[in-house]
Amino acid sequence: MCMELQLGLALPGSDTWSRPLLKLGLYEDINVNRKKRGFDHGYLEDEFSAASFKNYEKGLVGWPPVETWRRKKLRCQVHNHMTAAENGYCGGRASKSTYVKVKMEGVVIARKIDISIHQSFETLTTTLMTMFDIFSHFPFIFGSVDENRRSFKLTYQDKEGDWLIAEDVPWRTFVRSLKCLKLIRSRG
Amino acid sequence: MQKKTAYSFPDEILEHVFSFIQSDKDRNAASVVCKSWYEIERWCRRKVFVGNCYAVSPTMVIRRFPDIRSIELKGKPHFADFNLVPDGWGGYVLPWISKMAGAYPWLEEIRLKRMVVTDESLELVAKSFTNLQVLVLFSCEGFSTDGLAAIAAGCKNLRELDLRDSEVDDLSGHWLNHFPDTYTSLVSLNISCLGSDDVSFSALERLVGRCPNLRRLLLNREVPLDKIANLLSRAPQLIEFGTGTYAAELRSDVYSNLVEAFCNCKELKSLSGFWDAVPAYLPVIYSVCSRLTSLNLSYAPIQNPDLTKLVSQCPSLQRMLVLDYIEDSGLEVLASSCKDLQELRVFPSDPFGEEPNVSLTEKGLVAVSSGCPKLQSVLYFCRQMSNAALVTIAQNCPNFTRFRLCLLDPKIADYRTLQPLDVGFGAIVEHCKDLRRLSLSGLLTDCVFEYIGMHAKKLEMLSVAFAGESDLALHHVLSGCESLRKLEIMNCPFGDKALLANAAKLETMRSLWMSSCSVSLGACKMLGQKMPRLNIEVMDEKGPPDSRAESDPVDKLYIYRSVAGPRFDMPPFVWTMDEDFASELS
Repeated sequence: MCMELQLGLALPGSDTWSRPLLKLGLYEDINVNRKKRGFDHGYLEDEFSAASFKNYEKGLVGWPPVETWRRKKLRCQVHNHMTAAENGYCGGRASKSTYVKVKMEGVVIARKIDISIHQSFETLTTTLMTMFDIFSHFPFIFGSVDENRRSFKLTYQDKEGDWLIAEDVPWRTFVRSLKCLKLIRSRG
Repeated sequence: MQKKTAYSFPDEILEHVFSFIQSDKDRNAASVVCKSWYEIERWCRRKVFVGNCYAVSPTMVIRRFPDIRSIELKGKPHFADFNLVPDGWGGYVLPWISKMAGAYPWLEEIRLKRMVVTDESLELVAKSFTNLQVLVLFSCEGFSTDGLAAIAAGCKNLRELDLRDSEVDDLSGHWLNHFPDTYTSLVSLNISCLGSDDVSFSALERLVGRCPNLRRLLLNREVPLDKIANLLSRAPQLIEFGTGTYAAELRSDVYSNLVEAFCNCKELKSLSGFWDAVPAYLPVIYSVCSRLTSLNLSYAPIQNPDLTKLVSQCPSLQRMLVLDYIEDSGLEVLASSCKDLQELRVFPSDPFGEEPNVSLTEKGLVAVSSGCPKLQSVLYFCRQMSNAALVTIAQNCPNFTRFRLCLLDPKIADYRTLQPLDVGFGAIVEHCKDLRRLSLSGLLTDCVFEYIGMHAKKLEMLSVAFAGESDLALHHVLSGCESLRKLEIMNCPFGDKALLANAAKLETMRSLWMSSCSVSLGACKMLGQKMPRLNIEVMDEKGPPDSRAESDPVDKLYIYRSVAGPRFDMPPFVWTMDEDFASELS
């Protein structure tokens, strides 16, 4: 069946729907046909991280359509179960706060971020950059999001008090041992 | 010739007749019969539902309906639930509360959905509406426990307080103490969304103890399991109960107390909560199971066989919400045990996982569709589907009113034939003549939209993502779906042609949402010029639309009909394409 729609307006190209949607802040590239989005896969040695990454890699904001409050509650639960399992205790008590302190090099005021709503380093760093308004110093049109991301390194202090580079470890390990975060400028 | 009046009824008679007409649709119909009916009807209308708070202004509502007792308002578009609407978009209730404060001193019921409610608004509510009986804040945000304290202190006639899925800033758990000791009229309390410091348990206990009419109590997660028995013993008349965290070390005293407490709740029909649930404590509710009509286990990480065993004990279930831990095997048991089932929702336990963590496929849904003849409403998340399964489901359940299927990989094909799922969804719309709500997913071409346009004549709400190939798809829907009220689309190659060709249709709908599609700025401007009774809102965080070419696609588009004109509270990332905008920039 073929229908002609009569209109007096120029049409955009037919494949424009697949344009990337690199937004400042929380929105990711939604083009599902591309395997990589420019995120540096050099970080991902661990197969497990790679797997949990791939889905978020598709950068599907709004998909699957699970309400944000449901996601938060479920993630708290997974987090609790992981912690509880570690303590050899079956079923945990009510969730402790999932907020961690974040500092940025050169910025006096520390912020807090809810780690439980994140699934990957990518969303975490993007959120942090928005929070510290990094993009206003590196305007979008002059550099890509990835370039901006690479000029900062995400470090964290673990439960033993050591400072480590966040993306050197798989996401789950990171979340479990995380005490607080710090963004530092990459040298070189 | 003498002019005869059509009616010699006094107004009071007509008013009395109208008092039997409750539905908005019927009232609206009556009001357009003639001028005198319009006048009489507007003075005696008591309930108003505003599906989009920007479609009309509070002043207009008040002017037409001077004596309202119950109001329901909805704010943000549905996709806000999935993080697609940035903070600060709008949906503020304060302007409404401010205007109604003076106009409706006898207001009894306020129901809000997806609106921004501030403590200031709540304080104004408490001060202005002394007769307030019902306050429902469904998926709202922007307020704290301070606002709740004001409500507790000020609304002496409050019967129902429901904070369903709202985001509340926790400042103090003592807001419950603000219910005076003399306050005993609580019937329904839903605080399941509150966080750790938000609820003083002792205050809650006292409140529950002194309200003999309490029928519905949904607790927040922080209420420990060992406190439940005591609470239930103070409210054995409960019909609906939501637990707090359902995990604790297994202790025989706690266990037996719970068994007794639940046993004494002879009218309990609905259970929810079950956060962090451990299998050990599930049997305490067995005495209630045979009576249960509604069971929400969607926050319970319980797996089979415990989960299936529980389900098999609930033959009266009409409504079931559960995680995909139930698996196909559990759904087969559900199908054979629960012949009264009307609504099923299966949520994903691991929505972002690459590999399936459970054995839940299309087979589970087919089993339920086959075994449960009264099934009407389905929300199902899974990882594979086939056209054959969808056709079977459609044939089994011609009475579907709501069908929402979410394949976790949004563009996945029929796993058996590798074909698009057009035929399957086509069968759904063809067989289910009363279908009012549909959500599509999977690999879909323009064909499925042709079927929808052809068959889905009662469809009111359609959700589409990653589907279709051309504007023809959107055209089929807009031109064919006569009852369409809400259309929400993300990541589809739909553009200008279909929108402009069906511009008039948009005035018959409540709203249209399109994000990450191919609608050009130029088309938006044109629509804005052509259709003065539509608000065309373009959302873009990159910068103002005039900095880009006319042919550039807009990021997000929200179109809704309105008699109030463009709104004034837009954040910097929203632009309205009204006539002024279009001419200003040309």
